[in-house]
Amino acid sequence: MFTVLAVLIQITGLSLFIMGFFPVKPTLSGISGLESFYPPGSDPTDLSQNVSTLPPDKLKSFYQELSGVPPVFDRLVLMVIDGLPAEFVLGRDGMHPRKEFVEAMPYTQSLLAKGLAIGYHAKAAPPTVTMPRLKAMVSGAIGGFLDVAFNFNTQAFLDDNLIGQFFRFGWKMVKDTIQVDYNVSRHLADELKSIDWDLLILHYLGLDHVGHIGGRNSNLMTPKLMEMDEVIKIIHSSTIQTQEVKHRRTLLLVVSDHGMTENGNHGGSSYEETDSLALFISPGKFGYTSETNNKAFQVDIAATLALLFGVPIPKNNVGTLMAEVFTSLTDEQQLRILELNSWQLLRLLQAQFPELECGRFSCESGSVGHDDAEMFCCLYLDAAALFESWKSKSSSRSVGGDDYRSIVLAYQNFLRSASKWLSGRATDKPIGLLACGIAAMLLSCSILVGLLFVYGRDSPFGGIQHLSHIENMKKWHLDEIFILAVIFSLILSMGSSSMVEEEQYIWHFMTASLYLIFLRKTLQSSTPGRLLHAQNVNSKQKRSCCRIYSIVAVLISGRILRGWHQGGVNWAHLPDISKLLVQAGSAPIKSLQLISILLVISISLIAILWPFWKSRFVLLFTVIFLFLGCLVLQDILNYQYSIFASASSDAIATTMAQNIYALLGIFTVGTLFAIPWFMPLKNSKTSRLCCFSSDISPQIQSEPLLWGFRDSIHVIGWCCVFSWCLLQLLLQQPINSMPVLLLLVQILASIWYFSDGDPHTRQWVEVAALYYVGMAGHFGLGNTNTLATIDVAGAFIGVSSHSTLMSGILMFIITYASPMLALLSMLIYVSSKDMRAFVDTQNEMNFRTFAKDVCWLSLSCPTWLEFHFPRCLHHCIATNEEPFICLERLFSKVSICLCYNGLHLYWHIVCGFSYNLYLHGICYPENVEGLLLERLICLQS
Amino acid sequence: MEEKKEKQGSIINNSGTKNDPVLCVSPAKVIVLHLICGLGLASSFWAAHNFYSIDLVSNPAETLRLIWIVEASVVILLYSLFRFNPDKCSYSRAVVRALLGLPAGAIVNALGAIVLGAPVSLQHFRKTVHWSLLMSVFTLVPAASVFGSSWTDWHRIFAQTKPIRPVDYMICLPAHGAVIGAWFGAWPMPLDWERPWQDWPICVTYGAIVGYLAGMMASFGFVVFKNRRQHVKGD
Repeated sequence: MFTVLAVLIQITGLSLFIMGFFPVKPTLSGISGLESFYPPGSDPTDLSQNVSTLPPDKLKSFYQELSGVPPVFDRLVLMVIDGLPAEFVLGRDGMHPRKEFVEAMPYTQSLLAKGLAIGYHAKAAPPTVTMPRLKAMVSGAIGGFLDVAFNFNTQAFLDDNLIGQFFRFGWKMVKDTIQVDYNVSRHLADELKSIDWDLLILHYLGLDHVGHIGGRNSNLMTPKLMEMDEVIKIIHSSTIQTQEVKHRRTLLLVVSDHGMTENGNHGGSSYEETDSLALFISPGKFGYTSETNNKAFQVDIAATLALLFGVPIPKNNVGTLMAEVFTSLTDEQQLRILELNSWQLLRLLQAQFPELECGRFSCESGSVGHDDAEMFCCLYLDAAALFESWKSKSSSRSVGGDDYRSIVLAYQNFLRSASKWLSGRATDKPIGLLACGIAAMLLSCSILVGLLFVYGRDSPFGGIQHLSHIENMKKWHLDEIFILAVIFSLILSMGSSSMVEEEQYIWHFMTASLYLIFLRKTLQSSTPGRLLHAQNVNSKQKRSCCRIYSIVAVLISGRILRGWHQGGVNWAHLPDISKLLVQAGSAPIKSLQLISILLVISISLIAILWPFWKSRFVLLFTVIFLFLGCLVLQDILNYQYSIFASASSDAIATTMAQNIYALLGIFTVGTLFAIPWFMPLKNSKTSRLCCFSSDISPQIQSEPLLWGFRDSIHVIGWCCVFSWCLLQLLLQQPINSMPVLLLLVQILASIWYFSDGDPHTRQWVEVAALYYVGMAGHFGLGNTNTLATIDVAGAFIGVSSHSTLMSGILMFIITYASPMLALLSMLIYVSSKDMRAFVDTQNEMNFRTFAKDVCWLSLSCPTWLEFHFPRCLHHCIATNEEPFICLERLFSKVSICLCYNGLHLYWHIVCGFSYNLYLHGICYPENVEGLLLERLICLQS
Repeated sequence: MEEKKEKQGSIINNSGTKNDPVLCVSPAKVIVLHLICGLGLASSFWAAHNFYSIDLVSNPAETLRLIWIVEASVVILLYSLFRFNPDKCSYSRAVVRALLGLPAGAIVNALGAIVLGAPVSLQHFRKTVHWSLLMSVFTLVPAASVFGSSWTDWHRIFAQTKPIRPVDYMICLPAHGAVIGAWFGAWPMPLDWERPWQDWPICVTYGAIVGYLAGMMASFGFVVFKNRRQHVKGD
């Protein structure tokens, strides 16, 4: 019961923590319309009734009349260059850009020099991933971090945004979001000639790809920049033509959604990643001598564009306008747009402070605002009053006088501070919630640890029969000390950000060291056998040989796994096996994938069949799984390599994948339910068959219940592992299929090693070793602590419509393949471990110890995760200064914790039940009753 | 069990003192041997710096080669003096088996390093070879020259870490020190300090050397301690 309680507390704590960490900020729903041209507070509902019925062109003129500012431009070409750092075009810190970049983009540089273009360093807010950045650009809002999760499903962007506003204007849109640059450019010439569009959106992804392949200094970078420059030249010359011929003013806005690091990655919050470009290019002069060191925020683009084109500013916009673009307007118009922007921000502020009434505060120049709300009000009222007085004495005002400047200054004061506060708001964390969450998690952690100790005291598991070894058990062995040391060093290493980035090295190093220690231990215990009888020596020698082989297998496959993906940040560019294979072309990858699939299938089948090769029932199961394996194989062969697939074969592939999901799911669940019902019937036969360890006393064979339970756990465990592996082979990238096989080999070998029952090894050491293998494999599959390595493409295999839930689940399955595999393998581990422990014990003790053993095991897994969790917390505290980095790193951790907890809630409940039932079962000596109970239990598991 | 082992050890020790005086190593001999080994290391560094003007950071492979050649000659010549059964086994034979043990130990060390994550590409090949030869000199070569193919001694020293005689201490502690030092020496490698010495195998070599020196000091301390206790017992 306590376990359930603890897990419940844990889950609530975690959810509290997440709520605190990823705050859901209040946003304004709906679409801004007419009211944005009135000061906040006044309610133009009477007008808005008939506005919604106006035809587009009338709406346009109506808006214009209200705003009092003519639109500066009436056509927009929005050119999004994915991943172009502003440094390439504008240079850093007022310096000129590097020479090769200047040479690569001659036209753009000449535009800047002539004053036809204004460039900004538009600071993007993290996470610097494409979709949230595009959203920020069109809506002007800073999304919460959880937005990332929903970004893979952006069929409909429901919030208020610029594109929607333009659409309501009756603009005709041409969207060219085709993925390959060449395609975009090929259509471009035709589109530019035709006149029937007002908004052209071009999205160039090539530069980002170049960055991902070769980093900033890639050889491909210069040609790519030249290509971009060529496109800018084409568009710009065409806009000049249109202006001369048709008198339409077209704005070319070149923006990039994010920058890139030296290695070409993005996602984080370093200067290189957030330094994105906003380049306004118009056919005529802006009337502003361009500097190259303008700084702005990416969210400012939305407000600026809205005001340039005379549409209402989107409701959740937190950006301020970029004043330099508006220099062609008269003073009054400039002030008017400042006012419009202020009104919009004030409305957003009112949503944050529900009781905000600016009239309440007495704003005298002496009293500095006590809280934020008051300060904003004062700033706003100040600016508004100045503007009013300026308007009233319109007759006597002088152009560009001091009055004007002071008003602009006042407005900009308000805008800047409000914008800063609002965007900071998106990352604020309520401390109370966080503290509650942490406290709850610590509480549940301590409950779990306490329970573990209670169980551990009750039954000296593993050492039941070795009462003489109690003394020995109290001594600390090298491997135990080592494991504890590893945990502490991991916690410590989370303090430095470089260690967090390169966490995979620690895991690989520690896992390899742990297995080397195991190897030494095996060697240690091997040779004294020489002194014993010859016959005994043989079997013992053989066994230790087996153990050494299995450790060597683990070590070798671990090394290959380590070399498969060069993860991390600093050394990601170094060559590794996967890069070599990619360079070598698709044939070796394909053959490797085939080999690994065949091996996975055969290994699993042999492992299932091995103890029960005469049981027909298990044979049936094997046939079913063989069929499933063939299905997966066929699917991969047919569809994964047809890259340029037609729509019909695409649909077939989708249904095929769906079928496989369904079949895998059905058979796994079916096995879970069916095996316990059928296994015990075959029991009397199988128990004799599976005497692969010869020294089982005959009394054990009269324990069909126990054997049945063991066998069924064995089969269930293998079924789970097998289906999980098949699923991984289907979902992971083809390059990752070999690591899946290696991982399976590793886990299998370590279980084999452990099953040989060294009495000196404590169980928690072995559980920890499996966990380490799982974690090292997690990094070996190419995952890192950044979001950038999540395999998004795999999450859409077999998903026909865009559903966030389905692809989320698939993404989870892909990302946490290896820890989950380690977790599932615990089932096999339990089955392989237990039979030895019961050889010598009394009959009636069996149930109790067994149940406790299982219980203990199930408890020990989450406790490892608890150890995992403090690491996250520590980590979060350590990197508190950079909340976004922290968020980014924590994101993966939190979800892994969530998954484990979810799984363990289930696992705990099952074990709690089985424990209780077994305790009851002891009271009934009748085997029949026990059988029944056992079936019940298995049903629940 | 433990007591039995102790007894066995003392028997061996006693018989050793009777038969070959070499096994009863006095602390003075131990410190002389360790000093010479340490001096060999220092002189190889000095020679690398002054005669060849190379160092570990700029030319790791060449420097490592120089170090292991100097150190190997010192170690093999010295430890062969302490060989088992000097009556049956000549000095030159001990030297030969130490020379055979050198590449074998290098293979073991290289495999261990690669399993723990040492790079395997061709550009690192020479460095890895020279590093593992140096590690072999530190760890397995002395044992090879002293014990030869006596498997029980090997097992006792390296698997169970149960040194009994002074010679055991002289072999066991520096070897373990070198391995543990190298293991810890790998820690700074993934950090992003961007120092040239963070490359493979420079900091690992430094760690191994530091561990080796510490192990030598510890072995001297243990021998002195044991010697004094034996004297007290004898009195």
